[in-house]
Amino acid sequence: MMRAVRWSALAFFAVTALAPPEEGVSTPLVQRGRDLDVPVPTAAEPSAPAAALVTPLAGRAYDDDAALPAHADDVADYTLVATLDPVAHTVHGAGSITWRNTSTRPVRELWLHLYLNAFKNERSAFFRERVGGRGSAPPEDWGWIDVRKLVLRAGDAAPVDVWPTAELRRTGDDDETDARVPLPSAIDPDETVHLDVVFDDKLPIVVERTGYRGKYHMVGQWFPKVARLEHDGTWAHFPFHHLAEFYADYGTYDVTLDVPEAYLLGATGPLVESHVVGGRRVERHVQADVHDFAWTAWDAWQVARETIDGVGVTLLYPPGFASMAHRELATLRFGLPYYSAHYGRYPYEVLTVVHPQEDAGESGGMEYPTFITSGGSWLTPPGLLAPEIVTLHEMGHQWFYGLVGTNELAWPFLDEGLNQFAEQDGMGKWRGEGSALDLAGLEVSDAALCAVSGNMGVHDEAVAQAANAFSTGQDYGSLVYARTASVMETLRRVYGDEPVMRALGRYARRFRFQHPGPDEFLAVFEEVLGSRVAATLRTALFEKGWVDYVVDGVSAEEATRAGGMFDRDGQREKVESGEREGGGWDNSVLVRRRGTLSFPVDVDLLLADGSTRREHWDGEGESKRFSWHGSSAVRSATVDPQDQVVVDANLQNNRGGANGRGGGAPRTLERVTYWMQLALQAVSP
Amino acid sequence: MTDAGLAYGASDPSLAVARPADELVLLMPQAMRARRHPRAIAAMWAWETVLALLASGPAAGLARAAWRGDQPLWEAGGHALLDWLWHDLHGVRAALSGAEVVLVLSTVAGLVPMAALMAALTYARRDRQAAAFVQCIAAGLRAFPPMALLLVVAGLLQGLVLVAGGFLAVAVEGWSHARLGEARAQQVEGLVFLLVLAVAAQTGVLHDLARASVVRFRVTGMRALGLGARTLRRSPIVLGWSWAWRALASLAPVLAAAAVAGKLGGHGGFDLVFLFVLHQSVVVVRVALRTSWMARALRAVDGTSSKAMAQVGAVALLGS
Repeated sequence: MMRAVRWSALAFFAVTALAPPEEGVSTPLVQRGRDLDVPVPTAAEPSAPAAALVTPLAGRAYDDDAALPAHADDVADYTLVATLDPVAHTVHGAGSITWRNTSTRPVRELWLHLYLNAFKNERSAFFRERVGGRGSAPPEDWGWIDVRKLVLRAGDAAPVDVWPTAELRRTGDDDETDARVPLPSAIDPDETVHLDVVFDDKLPIVVERTGYRGKYHMVGQWFPKVARLEHDGTWAHFPFHHLAEFYADYGTYDVTLDVPEAYLLGATGPLVESHVVGGRRVERHVQADVHDFAWTAWDAWQVARETIDGVGVTLLYPPGFASMAHRELATLRFGLPYYSAHYGRYPYEVLTVVHPQEDAGESGGMEYPTFITSGGSWLTPPGLLAPEIVTLHEMGHQWFYGLVGTNELAWPFLDEGLNQFAEQDGMGKWRGEGSALDLAGLEVSDAALCAVSGNMGVHDEAVAQAANAFSTGQDYGSLVYARTASVMETLRRVYGDEPVMRALGRYARRFRFQHPGPDEFLAVFEEVLGSRVAATLRTALFEKGWVDYVVDGVSAEEATRAGGMFDRDGQREKVESGEREGGGWDNSVLVRRRGTLSFPVDVDLLLADGSTRREHWDGEGESKRFSWHGSSAVRSATVDPQDQVVVDANLQNNRGGANGRGGGAPRTLERVTYWMQLALQAVSP
Repeated sequence: MTDAGLAYGASDPSLAVARPADELVLLMPQAMRARRHPRAIAAMWAWETVLALLASGPAAGLARAAWRGDQPLWEAGGHALLDWLWHDLHGVRAALSGAEVVLVLSTVAGLVPMAALMAALTYARRDRQAAAFVQCIAAGLRAFPPMALLLVVAGLLQGLVLVAGGFLAVAVEGWSHARLGEARAQQVEGLVFLLVLAVAAQTGVLHDLARASVVRFRVTGMRALGLGARTLRRSPIVLGWSWAWRALASLAPVLAAAAVAGKLGGHGGFDLVFLFVLHQSVVVVRVALRTSWMARALRAVDGTSSKAMAQVGAVALLGS
């Protein structure tokens, strides 16, 4: 999901782990989450990554696609039929779920996510979390999901409807998005069960991710979904939170959609069957190796189709938005092959992009497997690259969320953060320095926006924490998205594009169709880039690591002969200080490193004769003094002249003039004066 | 310099003897041309430049203090620029507030140089020289009270048109949204608002014609408004277009300069000097086009209203 949340920081909440789970019993980890006690799962090490690797790595084998797995391990398969009533804005669903216990322990309960209930009332966890941003206002029309029955068929036992005994709410908590379903008997490890399910959805008016606006329908988080059971028998179940929502097992989704004939459909997975009967359009979409399914229906969709890098791309857009569709297709023409080359081949046949109208904007900027939503006004000027950024970002989620199935609630930086880095890297490689804004001579890069945004919240909270532990949406946005991306971008600029992109590519390929955590991520970076880089990453992500390089002193003194008493050749000689033979200058530059992160940096020294000399500092230690005698005086010094350390907390102190001297601001004066002249002419009588 | 032969009464020898050489005489309409007054245009440019420097000085000073040379601020990518805006947000806000004050004050104070410019277009000295700077400023000061009244009246009128038109455009968008879809509805909204802008622009034309009447006939603001309305009523399309083509033409150099600035980037040295010259050329061209329109407005009110003014006893010759 693409967020642009920029608000002030308030507080920090740490993630706290509880004791190991009892056999077959859900024991979610509890953390202080603002004003509510909502259980949240975390990965194996919630507060910091373990030093040792938890998953064997595979070295260079994953630097290309040869070792990529063809398919995911099917754990949860869904076969559903969904019937839309576009007037009442309801979906009737029925079908079956096939689920396998992949843990090492028998389970005596199931956890079902009923996320549409997040929009049922203001007492849901979603609406209680006052983090600001989109989705904060209660919808004008509520939405919910009612499960009618859930019939368990396990082995030779008689089918039994387990829904009447389900626990929809916890005591004292009105949230109904996380249901516990006790089972009549345990499901053993590797045992498969079938659940026949019938449910009814009432869609809300578009809010955050899903809903309707007039005849437009975006249907996400719409069916009962089995939570993920971790290998150790712990259920990773959690309510629908404001800032994160994804974590599930892979499986095959076979979904038949039934809508009025006039409606056009877009959905996860390729269309395998389609017919019109009795004034209804019926389409069947089947997709393996995914962990979610979303769809849209509207009678006004315009359609553009193109095959890009072997992938059948369908773009659904409103009338009058053709220019946006062209820009989004152009983005995919760059993005699909670029991401496939760097993070592993896109394994699916199709990708559907949905561009909602602005009045349904809250359903834009969202990712589902093989199905993404973009957004923006049809009037967006070409120099404002928001449509391209959103499209590339959501497409990138096919890798960082889709193919690498991290727990977004527990470790959002592995999902949104890495994807944000992939986005700014891709935009930069594609559109250069004006990758976010390229208007009237002003070029602003996506990376620069992330760098400044990431620095805004760096002292408030750690990056690596659960999504619902963030105090505000602004903290979440600036840290999870921007800070992670900036840290990665700094590594890329300092240590080189090739090794960093190789490390991220190796991670993405090695853990395709798996559910890695921070340990695995850090281990791959240590494997490729070494322990210093891994330690830097750990400090930056887990310990609010920061850095500020400073030019703290630049001086140039005319060289003098040292005066005083000197013992030479057995004689004590008095030497008067004075002009040194041969003249010249004694130059000195002091550079400091403040903060807890360290990176090697260059220091450029500009001399009075116009020449420049470049010095290198390995970044170790807290300061470095460069002193030398030369024929020319030093005029100024600049640390990190190539802007490699984009996480630098303050760029203004990266430059220093000799003896306090500095340059003027002719560029600023020229431009601002011109702009003011134009403004004066606009308002002048 | 001007052609005094195109001035009312300039060829009357008795008047030439009776009055001093630096007395101002009213020019014939065909002599009221912007191209005859490059010094007046330059003076107007200088006025705007001084105000702009007043407004931009704090921002430049801020950049100088923070960066010891502002080269990084204008480098492609914008990292240093964003970092500066973040760290010095309060300073930047203060600089912006100062600029806003300058803009507001210039809206009122600018009436004097505007009227002086129009006086330079309207009058010449009896000795065939262009009106002196001091004479023009004096004329501008004399015209200030009625011009200020016109500014208030026309501002209110334009504001009313824009607000009402804005509501109308939004209502039309809301009404057509479901039928036409968002993009088409917004396009209709845009069309409606363009029409509203045309009405507001025509109000601006009326305002300028009234100003021309103030300078040309030395009448009160409300009387000038009546004369302006009479002039506009006579040929609304011709006068509207006369304003519009100059307004559109004044956008072209801005866009062209923006494209060139994009190519030049944030370099210093010759590139910066070139950019400065280019930008100032744009400003001068826009001043010239505005002056050209004011001359057109003066000719229009002169042609329409001389007869009417004769009936009310207005003079064509003015003492200094």
